[in-house]
Amino acid sequence: MATTAIKPTMGMGDKRSGGSSNIPKSRQFKDKEKPTHIRESNIVAAKAVADAVRTSLGPKGMDKMIQSGSGDVTITNDGATILKQMKVLHPAAKMLVDLSKAQDIAAGDGTTTVVVMAGALLNSCNELLSQGIHPTQISESLQTLSEQGCKILEGMSIPVDLSDRDALLRSASTALNSKVVSQFSSLLSGIAVDAILKITDLKEAKMVDIRDIKIVKKLGGTIEDSKLIEGLVFDHRAHGVNKVEKAKIGLIQFQISPPKTDMDNQVIVSDYAQMDRVLKEERQYILNIVKAIKKAGCNVLLVQKSILRDAVSDLALHFLAKLKIMVIKDVERDEVEFICKTLSCRPIASLDHFVPEALGSADLVEEILTGAGKIVQVSGILNPGRTCSVLLRGSNKLVLEEADRSLHDAVCVVRCLVRHRALIAGGGAPEVELALGLADYARASPGVESFCIRCLAGAFETIPYTLAQNAGLNAIATVTDLRNRHARGERNAGINVRTCCVSDIIEENVVQPLTVSQSALSLSCETVRSILKIDDILNATHD
Amino acid sequence: MMGFASAGEILKPGSQHEQSEIARLSSFVGAIALGDIVKTTLGPKGMDKILIGGRPGGEDTVRVTNDGATILKSIGVDNPAAKILVEISKVQDDEVGDGTTSVTVLACELLREAERLIAMKIHPQTIVAGWRLAKDAARSALEASALDHGADKQLFLKDLENIAATTLSSKILSQHRNHFTALAVSAVLRISAAGDLQAIQVIKKLGGTLGDSFLDEGFLLDKKIGVNQPKRLENAKILIANTGMDADKVKVFGTRVRVDGTAKVAELEAAEKQKMCDKVNKIKAHGISCFINRQLIYNYPEQLFADAGIMAIEHADFEGVERLGLVLGGDIVSTFDNPELVTLGTCDVIEEVMVGDDKLIRFAGCHRKEACTIVIRGATQQILDEAERSLHDALCVLSQTLKETRTVYGGGCSEVLMSNRVSQLATATPGKESLAVEAFANALRTIPTILADNAGYDSADLVAKLRAAHTAGVSAAGLDMFTGEVGDMAQLGVTESFKVKSQVLLSAAEAAEMILRVDNIIRAQPRQRERH
Repeated sequence: MATTAIKPTMGMGDKRSGGSSNIPKSRQFKDKEKPTHIRESNIVAAKAVADAVRTSLGPKGMDKMIQSGSGDVTITNDGATILKQMKVLHPAAKMLVDLSKAQDIAAGDGTTTVVVMAGALLNSCNELLSQGIHPTQISESLQTLSEQGCKILEGMSIPVDLSDRDALLRSASTALNSKVVSQFSSLLSGIAVDAILKITDLKEAKMVDIRDIKIVKKLGGTIEDSKLIEGLVFDHRAHGVNKVEKAKIGLIQFQISPPKTDMDNQVIVSDYAQMDRVLKEERQYILNIVKAIKKAGCNVLLVQKSILRDAVSDLALHFLAKLKIMVIKDVERDEVEFICKTLSCRPIASLDHFVPEALGSADLVEEILTGAGKIVQVSGILNPGRTCSVLLRGSNKLVLEEADRSLHDAVCVVRCLVRHRALIAGGGAPEVELALGLADYARASPGVESFCIRCLAGAFETIPYTLAQNAGLNAIATVTDLRNRHARGERNAGINVRTCCVSDIIEENVVQPLTVSQSALSLSCETVRSILKIDDILNATHD
Repeated sequence: MMGFASAGEILKPGSQHEQSEIARLSSFVGAIALGDIVKTTLGPKGMDKILIGGRPGGEDTVRVTNDGATILKSIGVDNPAAKILVEISKVQDDEVGDGTTSVTVLACELLREAERLIAMKIHPQTIVAGWRLAKDAARSALEASALDHGADKQLFLKDLENIAATTLSSKILSQHRNHFTALAVSAVLRISAAGDLQAIQVIKKLGGTLGDSFLDEGFLLDKKIGVNQPKRLENAKILIANTGMDADKVKVFGTRVRVDGTAKVAELEAAEKQKMCDKVNKIKAHGISCFINRQLIYNYPEQLFADAGIMAIEHADFEGVERLGLVLGGDIVSTFDNPELVTLGTCDVIEEVMVGDDKLIRFAGCHRKEACTIVIRGATQQILDEAERSLHDALCVLSQTLKETRTVYGGGCSEVLMSNRVSQLATATPGKESLAVEAFANALRTIPTILADNAGYDSADLVAKLRAAHTAGVSAAGLDMFTGEVGDMAQLGVTESFKVKSQVLLSAAEAAEMILRVDNIIRAQPRQRERH
């Protein structure tokens, strides 16, 4: 206790005089000018990155418009996307960009929070450094901070049951509230929750692969027209027939076009009669393939894209249309596995394997006209796999893409809950609790570490402070109020941005997965530590 | 040639020639400057460096590292003496894996001492003679202080843990030391003394924190299983191949087929397909349940494998295939005519597992039971890369220790021990060599000085205390880097491998001696670059 009380004044004195007569000799921090300079430049660069995304934090955060070198415009509120597009040069700034990427992978949401948190921690570190505390000492304190912080967060978390759809919905809509598309949060959160519930087996679910959710974006309409589709959607036109009932679907990986060998080949035509024969043979060749397809009972044909030659020639399309077979061209190879899983069919790589067993069945395959183009929807699939598709609509490309990113965040949030079934309050509540809890911890711990942790704990208040600021509230008053309430034991008090006051945030249904908060804390601490430990930047040679 | 007075007349234009004093000076300056760069990374409280560029990946790749060898490898040096130091750190990395910074710093400090002696007009050969005496004394002191717990399993295990913890404490992993110590020790114990580190695979996956890293008792491959093929196999028989799965082409430039009709092209196409089918049939004749190819497997063969219920994994990179061959105990084959001659790989279970966002294929219960994989998780690519380097160091040191079971104390303890012995020798040595011997002792003592400096402690005070403790006979006294006091290394468990320490001593002394003996630097004319 005594040390904690005395230290700050000593530090302040040290900062001004530049000397250090009142610090014990063995603790004296002698650092050369260059490392200090480098460290400062790293911290400044990293803080600049954090400041750039700061204003987009929270439900009332602002969006950023980013113009890329090629002139493309992105409007987004998603920290990870902003940073990815920013093309920073400074190595330390790059580490922050990576940090938000890591949060995106680990939790999918909180990508802005994690960067703002790292910036705030760096700010505190800078203060500590200027008071003459050795970087490794700060680095160790950060480690303790992260461990203790995770415990505090765990302590204030609420377990959640996956069958409680409302709880899932609440956390998904919290994630969506801060996005451009927030007015549609109830719709999109519903889609996200249903999609995840559909692809996971609730009994043994720890593995959730969000690649089992296919998102098809289509311009036109509004976001309200977006929906979750039980079945499969292709962003392609259908050829031949527009609607097939009782469909038998075949996915082929070979091509229906004039034959081509791996080796170069040359057809030499010497007279007119032979030319005729060549054309006739080609016709016959394609007709044979088409007939074989028809014979197997297939009436919807999906054709994998081929880089070597036409996947389906015009002639083949003509024949297939005559036989009332719907054709969907240009299916990417990456999608094959997803399609097979959904339709429970097998890809067919050669005509000899085109047998009825390899086909998938569905009640209806139909082409639907949407604003800017057509899509093909497959519904009523017989024994469908654990996959689902989401059709996103939007009035312009920018909104559509932002909706896609937001939906991704919401899906990730629900996935976090499936993996780790605990919720925590949002609205800055966990951060204030962290600041208070860690300050308490600091009081009980000995030595310089206590001082460091106390200083660093204050950094967490930046999150509620920024939240309030972005919402146009009096930040200082709000944060003070928040702190008071938490000190009185209202652990879930948070900033309610909608009513612009401080209230029990759980009652307001602002909740987020524990994983998001925990990983934001531990990832930002890890990155700040590695920035602190750098004392030189060297240019390497190209070997 | 010998008779020419000036080098300028006998050397081609563009060559450079530095002699005696100037040559020596340039060696000293280069070596000392290099030592000063890596000096600050030494020890548990050492700092990291950012390296920009230097990888084929691109201009702006950023690496954050604490590993001396990596730093030295990446910065281009033009000074011949500095190049020698870079070499020794590389050799140290290859030989024992750790101590790459120490060896450079020690050599640099020796040269700094030598510079002082030269200024006192002592002949380089005299210094070299003195150093040789000192080196032998230091080595015998180190040997005498080494402990060997090779016979006692319990104590040896403790030793291994301590060594891993000490190595890792100077790296980025220091805060997760216990976790990674356990990982490294159990991985190395699996491969046992004879095994090579090849059987330990390290996979880096972005996301999570370092604490989420884990050891998997099996082999993980970052690839995908073909569509519609079994996702889980038990008692798998595996054929590892490096072969093109498309139709075999005639590899003569400009070959082409001439036909006179589409039907003939179709026939040719069918023939090509038949060839693929034949190849698959030949592969199937091996009686396998899993087929792994280094090259692509196209749709058609993939389907044939799927029909036969064989798991086919395509595009396993070269390293992956070699490792698989090693751990699964199978040959890597390219022709399939003689199934009876081919050794198939075996393992108990092949299945898909999820790590972070990605699916990996896991081979459990491999032919070589010792095979295992360490998955490193971390917030950024830089952290992952650095963690991999650190872990590699720890694994190297541990596997060295399995062969050479002797250990010594770290934390500057062995350095002070050696330096005290060398100082004693200096007092007993007649003649000018005595000065060189004393210089050697000084250089050894700078290692704990730098350790303390890096941590921000009062080095002069601490090292004096440490020296006094050793003189008083406390042979396990060293620097406790966490409290900033002199502590008992045996109690703190700061242990290092004897092999590493002796290698540092010998390499550094050798390199310094070599640089000191140089009195003439001739730079050949740089190769002219021709512009086209």
